[in-house]
Amino acid sequence: MSLLTLPPPNLSRCSILIIEDFDGMRAILRDILVRASATKIIMAANASSAISLLEKQRFDIILCDLHLGQGKSGQDILEEARHRALLPPHSVWLMISAEKAAEMVTGTVESRPDDYLIKPITETMLFSRLTRQMEKKKALAPIELALREHEYLKALRLVEAQLEGNNPHAWDLKRMKAELALLSGENALAKTIYEEALNLRNLPWARLGLAKLHFNEGRYVDASRELKQITDGNRAYLEAHDLLAYTLEKLGDADAAQEVIQRALATSPRAPLRQLHLGEVALRRGELDTAQVAFQNSIELARNTPLKSSQAYLALSQVQQTLNQTDAALNTLSRLSTDMHGDSTARLLAEAMQIPVRLHRGEKEQALGLAQNLATGLKIDAQHLPPDAVFNLAAPLLELGETSTANALLGSLISNHHEHPEYLQRAQSIFTHAGLEREGRELVEGAARAATDIMNRGVKLSREGKLGEAIKLTREARAKMPNNARLLLNHAFLLIAWMERHGRDPALNTEARNCIELARKLKPEDKRAGELLTKLELLGNDFVLPT
Amino acid sequence: MPTEHPKLDLSTFLLSSIHDMKNSLGMMANYLEDALAQAPTEAGSQASNTPARQKTAQALYEAQRVNNHLIQLLALYKIDQSFYPFDPTEQSLADLAREALARALPLAESKGILLDLDCPENLFGWFDYDLVFGVIVQALHNALHYTRSKVLLKASASEAGVVIQIEDDGPGYPEFLLEQGNAAQRGISFETGSTGLGLYFADVVASLHQAGGRTGHIVLANGGQLGGGQLGGGQLAGGCFSLHLP
Repeated sequence: MSLLTLPPPNLSRCSILIIEDFDGMRAILRDILVRASATKIIMAANASSAISLLEKQRFDIILCDLHLGQGKSGQDILEEARHRALLPPHSVWLMISAEKAAEMVTGTVESRPDDYLIKPITETMLFSRLTRQMEKKKALAPIELALREHEYLKALRLVEAQLEGNNPHAWDLKRMKAELALLSGENALAKTIYEEALNLRNLPWARLGLAKLHFNEGRYVDASRELKQITDGNRAYLEAHDLLAYTLEKLGDADAAQEVIQRALATSPRAPLRQLHLGEVALRRGELDTAQVAFQNSIELARNTPLKSSQAYLALSQVQQTLNQTDAALNTLSRLSTDMHGDSTARLLAEAMQIPVRLHRGEKEQALGLAQNLATGLKIDAQHLPPDAVFNLAAPLLELGETSTANALLGSLISNHHEHPEYLQRAQSIFTHAGLEREGRELVEGAARAATDIMNRGVKLSREGKLGEAIKLTREARAKMPNNARLLLNHAFLLIAWMERHGRDPALNTEARNCIELARKLKPEDKRAGELLTKLELLGNDFVLPT
Repeated sequence: MPTEHPKLDLSTFLLSSIHDMKNSLGMMANYLEDALAQAPTEAGSQASNTPARQKTAQALYEAQRVNNHLIQLLALYKIDQSFYPFDPTEQSLADLAREALARALPLAESKGILLDLDCPENLFGWFDYDLVFGVIVQALHNALHYTRSKVLLKASASEAGVVIQIEDDGPGYPEFLLEQGNAAQRGISFETGSTGLGLYFADVVASLHQAGGRTGHIVLANGGQLGGGQLGGGQLAGGCFSLHLP
């Protein structure tokens, strides 16, 4: 029978973590591993003990159940472990599930486990997957290291080198290569790979990749055509539904967008971000009841997970206020303060957003008291408040005569988003409504002009070769408008140009990288972030690029 | 979820019960497999010889058989309702074959049937692993039921893709099955018991696989490599199940 069974892997030197909420299953997995000579096996019954074990020890193998009851899922643990670099680069993460689930066919190179195992888990299955994945991860470890350092170009080149041999995982690698190309701003390369894959067969991941490219480059009609090809026949491809909803919103079809999100939620309702998205679209369409339920669902689902954010609470309290349920609105804000007590901005918002609710109830004294108490805090934190909260807060502040706080909030908002005409209009109309049209115009136009001015002066100084002065200018500006994506990218560009001339400098390198990463978070579709990251990587790099 | 369900559809209970039964049988299969692996085997003697082992293997087979059927039902339901996450990837056929054979091995040993594998190590094909795995295990179980002494699992490259074959040296498929052609048009025959679901599932899975204008399909035939044996004077045809994947 030697043909039929491979020798079991030798796990005697491997440290193994089993994350499984059902004790019967934990014992079965342990017994199978022991038959492959495993001795260093540690077991966790829930996410929090898994995370603390991962913090203390570097595991070679992790077997993790996808569904762990309430709270964090296996996927959440994996993402947190990757994000916090708690895994050695060669580690193998096998996700175990009772059935093939929709979340298994999507995700990115940074969020997918190494393999999925569907129950019942047999010895042969576990051994053969472990053997194959351990081999594969050994070969891919350098790529994993580069990814961890966000050195996407280096990772890309390493993938290309692996593809030169007759690699049995050729298409896994090509899929990875396309994702890395997207992260490095090499859109054309990604497109070639996705098209090659689609030529071969109708692969949902390749079509989704192509649609992402269309979306990022603003071709919404093309994106929606590709996405509908994925979603029309099948509602299991959730990521395609989500992107289709965003695409339809860009095309101005909010009705269709809501329908698509609801279809995805029918397949997979336990998704806090998707519920939040439904609430936002429903709110824009004026369907307040739908929005309210969606925001409540989002809060419940995210409560004990890393996905929780103040956004859903703030939106819910706003909807409740509009529906004249002001008690409920205040209650939502006090829950925000409790649920996110570790986040000072969330606590500030939980208090500040009571101001419009109090005013709505005719409790002007209380509203004024709050506004005066919070004035200093709001001014200090102005740069970090979400635009929706600022817009909802500014009008009540003006009504209460707290003009300087309102000015600080709106001024910060404009300087961070000076290229966003819709925000400029909304800010102006708040001033106009308060009878402060002229003052408003001065502030809004002034803040936008100041931001544009700094960009222009920076470009001019750098053209004149005065890089040092240009950097000083953009660095000071960054302190005042820390969330302005264009400024962040311009500043990174100047830092890179300086290092190209004077050599690599670790501090400047970190500064540039932070700017690029933040800009990418603020404006994911801008491929300049990827291009600058590539330039930064190429600075005095010590790896050889195969051409 | 605070959403209200004033009146639950009976199908909701059916579905969740099938899930529950499937998971429970899966655990049972795991326990039994574990028991078989841990049971002391007498040195020098065939592991399958002790009656306790034989009965455990038989129980494991029954648990796996029903577990498989429930998995197939759920997959068919999802495919029918268009939310099966169909996900073809490039995979090793040798790995697939070994994992499927491992499912059939305890029963084969207990019945004294020889399992054989004929598959190149470097053969890769595009398929949805979980669906195709279900089809192969079902076909192996079927072959173990009808075979006389041997079952062969064979995988090879074809001009359109790959073909996976399960052959036995039993009496072969009955004429009526061979004549009926396309399994999807056969419908479920309540007289033949489980055959209906298994073949229907295999047919649906095969036809989901498409590439370059070709569609996957299954073929039932008699007289494979293992056919042609003699038993009490009568010629044995030998069943041969093939799954063609583009």
